[in-house]
Amino acid sequence: MTASAVSSQPPRTGIRATAWSLPSRAVALFSGPAGFAVKIALLSIANAVGLWALVILAGRHQWTAVGIVVAVTAVIDALYLVPGRAVPAKFLIPGTFFLIAFQVIPVAYTIDVAFTNYSTGHILKKPAAIQQIKQVTLAETANGTSFTMAPAHDSSGNLVLLLVDDQNGKTYVGTSKSLTPVPKSTFKRSADGSITGATGYTVLTGAALITVSKDLSGLVIPSGGDNGIRAEGLDTAVELHPTLRYNAQRDVFVRISDGAVFHDNNRGSFVHGKEELLPGWKVYVGFHNFSRLIHSKLIRGPFIRVFIWTLAFATLTVFLSFALGLFLAITLNKQGLRLRWLYRSALILPYAVPGFLSLLVWRGLMNDDFGVINKLLGHIGVHVPWLFDANWAKVSVIVVSTWLTVPYFFLVSLGALQSIPSELIEAARVDGASPWASFRKVTLPLLLVAVAPLMIASFAFNFNNFGNIYLLTGGGPSVGDNTVAGATDILISYTYKIAFAAGLGQDYGLASAVGIIIFFIVAAISWVSFSRTKALENLA
Amino acid sequence: MVRKRISRVGTALVAVGALALFVVASGSPATRAGAPTGANRAAADKLVIWVDSVQKPSIEKSAAAWGKAPVTVLVHPFGNIRDDLKSVKPENAPDIIIGPHDWVGDLATNGLIEPLYPKSGTKKQFPKYALDAWSYGTAVKKLYGAPYALENVGLVVNTQLVKVPTTFAQLESEALAFKHKKSGNIAIAVPQGSGGDPYHMYSFFSGLGGYVFGRNKAGNLDPSNIGIANPTFLKNSVLIDKWNKEGLINSKVDYNTAKNAFLKKQAAFWITGPWESDTLKTSGIKFKIIQMPRIKFRAVPFLGVQGMMVTKYATDHGVDAVAKDFVSSYMMTAGAQLDLANDNGRTPANLQAAAKYKDPIQSQFGKAGVGGVPMPNIPQMGSVWTDFGQAWVKSTQGAGATKARIAFTTAARNIANKIG
Repeated sequence: MTASAVSSQPPRTGIRATAWSLPSRAVALFSGPAGFAVKIALLSIANAVGLWALVILAGRHQWTAVGIVVAVTAVIDALYLVPGRAVPAKFLIPGTFFLIAFQVIPVAYTIDVAFTNYSTGHILKKPAAIQQIKQVTLAETANGTSFTMAPAHDSSGNLVLLLVDDQNGKTYVGTSKSLTPVPKSTFKRSADGSITGATGYTVLTGAALITVSKDLSGLVIPSGGDNGIRAEGLDTAVELHPTLRYNAQRDVFVRISDGAVFHDNNRGSFVHGKEELLPGWKVYVGFHNFSRLIHSKLIRGPFIRVFIWTLAFATLTVFLSFALGLFLAITLNKQGLRLRWLYRSALILPYAVPGFLSLLVWRGLMNDDFGVINKLLGHIGVHVPWLFDANWAKVSVIVVSTWLTVPYFFLVSLGALQSIPSELIEAARVDGASPWASFRKVTLPLLLVAVAPLMIASFAFNFNNFGNIYLLTGGGPSVGDNTVAGATDILISYTYKIAFAAGLGQDYGLASAVGIIIFFIVAAISWVSFSRTKALENLA
Repeated sequence: MVRKRISRVGTALVAVGALALFVVASGSPATRAGAPTGANRAAADKLVIWVDSVQKPSIEKSAAAWGKAPVTVLVHPFGNIRDDLKSVKPENAPDIIIGPHDWVGDLATNGLIEPLYPKSGTKKQFPKYALDAWSYGTAVKKLYGAPYALENVGLVVNTQLVKVPTTFAQLESEALAFKHKKSGNIAIAVPQGSGGDPYHMYSFFSGLGGYVFGRNKAGNLDPSNIGIANPTFLKNSVLIDKWNKEGLINSKVDYNTAKNAFLKKQAAFWITGPWESDTLKTSGIKFKIIQMPRIKFRAVPFLGVQGMMVTKYATDHGVDAVAKDFVSSYMMTAGAQLDLANDNGRTPANLQAAAKYKDPIQSQFGKAGVGGVPMPNIPQMGSVWTDFGQAWVKSTQGAGATKARIAFTTAARNIANKIG
């Protein structure tokens, strides 16, 4: 696009000379002054976003990120503003950018998470976890002492708390150093009991109250022994005492009642024997998640059964949809067929409706006693337990997945069929081949050259087709054995059950580890299949 | 020459354009309100609350009535509040969230919410189970939220079709008689479907002596004490086999089937909750909502208690005293709870407010929940739902059903394995 902008010729003449095709129209759109303006606008937006990111990153002292943003923005600007150089890069840069943003970074992040204990109870950083442990192990005193409280300033402007014990009505003034009893008569109180004033102190109200809020949260008034009075809101205070004490030098928590020592177990928790303090924090745990995959009975037990079913599900879905899609494509490819557009549009419909909607509709249709399908079948005395029987549920899942995938193969087959030169088929017919033989020996091999890679892609997609399983059967029905995997659970839905519906709820570390394993399985299968399709290309 | 000039002009234009866009974007009021940046968040002069869109107006009213500090009520999809709190950037994090009580274990285990210490006088205005529902702690039990609304299912009876039963035997005979009147009729419309629905089934479960988790000496729920196949329940579970045989309950009835059957008068008994109040009001059906009659034990439903929590981020933002004032001092008062209940149509948790709250349907649901069991709030509950539901599905699927004793024993074993 810069080329014509730079060559400062009137661009129209150049365009007229070429064929008025779609590509040249597109090029024309980006040539000349209009294109130049578009380019400036897009680059301005990119730079504005970069500048915005810089301000935020600098505010957080993320200097490495600042460096990266500056460098990337500079490279992009230079590439599109310095004329005449690196034309291929102009086309590659946007793609590369999005590849990194939406593929490389998530993959890197998944790998990173797989080596951590990121899960329920392990999402904070260690200092925050220590802070929270201190908070949640405070205990109320035996008689649950609470105070009516009002923050105030003393004569020299220091923050104090005016306190009235709710049980015995005694009045105090508390600072971070001491709790001093004062005569009741010095406090002024309103009808509902709140403190409105005190001799020698200025009670804070309105905006002033909000301003001291930050200081209130750190304020502990010593009240004898370990006890301390803390503000709870703006008009209440409670007396609490710690049950654990943190020793920063040794990095341990010590329980006050029995002296039990909780030490850092290097897995993101403070533990004492089997007792664990919560919350823990996020930490790298090496190959721990992978070794759990091998050692946990819960995971290992049904793995082979689930794996075989996953293979069967993905393979059958792809082959059935391809066979049906191709059949329909050949049928509807016939010239002179009336209302061909109508049939074709109708066939694409399942593809156009959002999958999760049609899956829920299918679930309703397949309801055992109340679904339409069984009501119709009931007229001929047949009753099929579509979702309630382990084997029928498998059939249902494959039928519905095929129904969802057929339009895709119908479309690609239709396209591929039209690209096969008709002379080849005519030549076969002249040579005396039957229609079936010419289809099998000529059409199908040529078709597969184009469609086989798409079949592999579709296989990889269905191998991880979480939505279909989850929305139609939820992995169920459960099978008799003592496992959590249902009859229709595929690896990815089983992973979900293990990582997000077991233990403490959410185990991102484990889920990422399984994700990596599944990636290697799919990659291996795809690699083998692709090397097979090479043979097809040679044949063609 | 020309090239160089164009390149320079381009650079200048891009620089000017970028600056202009930047100024416009960062200066616009939309960005200010929507995504507070680190700089203007540090002022700590306002509270940010995450609320679902349905409750936003009522919570905004409550915040205005409290009036001590400006409050920004941000709409957040209800189902995402819990998980988004785990990944949100601290500067964008809310100071207060709303949610059901069974999030407490998970959020507290993660260290994301702060314990609250309302005055004992305030706490006395709440039923014990509402406070228990919001309490959690492995070492020290703490209250983590201000309960404000109760929710539970009840047995809705179409009084034009059947008599309101006072014993379970009556319910059973009425329901079966109605079912046999016409093909397509359902005895008790209680939703399950192939995925199961132990929440709606809980009255049957508790009525037979089942419980999910027992409590330890400290009064906390104990994940190692699973009562889904406790001896008493297993002994009574022969009744499930009987109900399955006679068709009193059937797992093939899913949510929509149950609802439609009741509305089309193909079912005289429907187990549902207050979220269907509007459906009931507009149905034109004469109905009464009761607690399911006692089976072997009182057949109480699961209770859900909605509440408000102060997040750990309130401390980071320096507003936790203000946030706690709003949540545990103001929102727990009878006045605030009654206002909120009148606005969003849910039974208030505060007993004084509940006594003054007059909504015929809500109060019937409220009575149906008396003595109910709060859903366990410990994070291990996530391991329970599926297997618990499947035990019901398998034992009540009509012909070919598994014996309840076996189904529930298997479920209990699977759950124990999953909890680990």
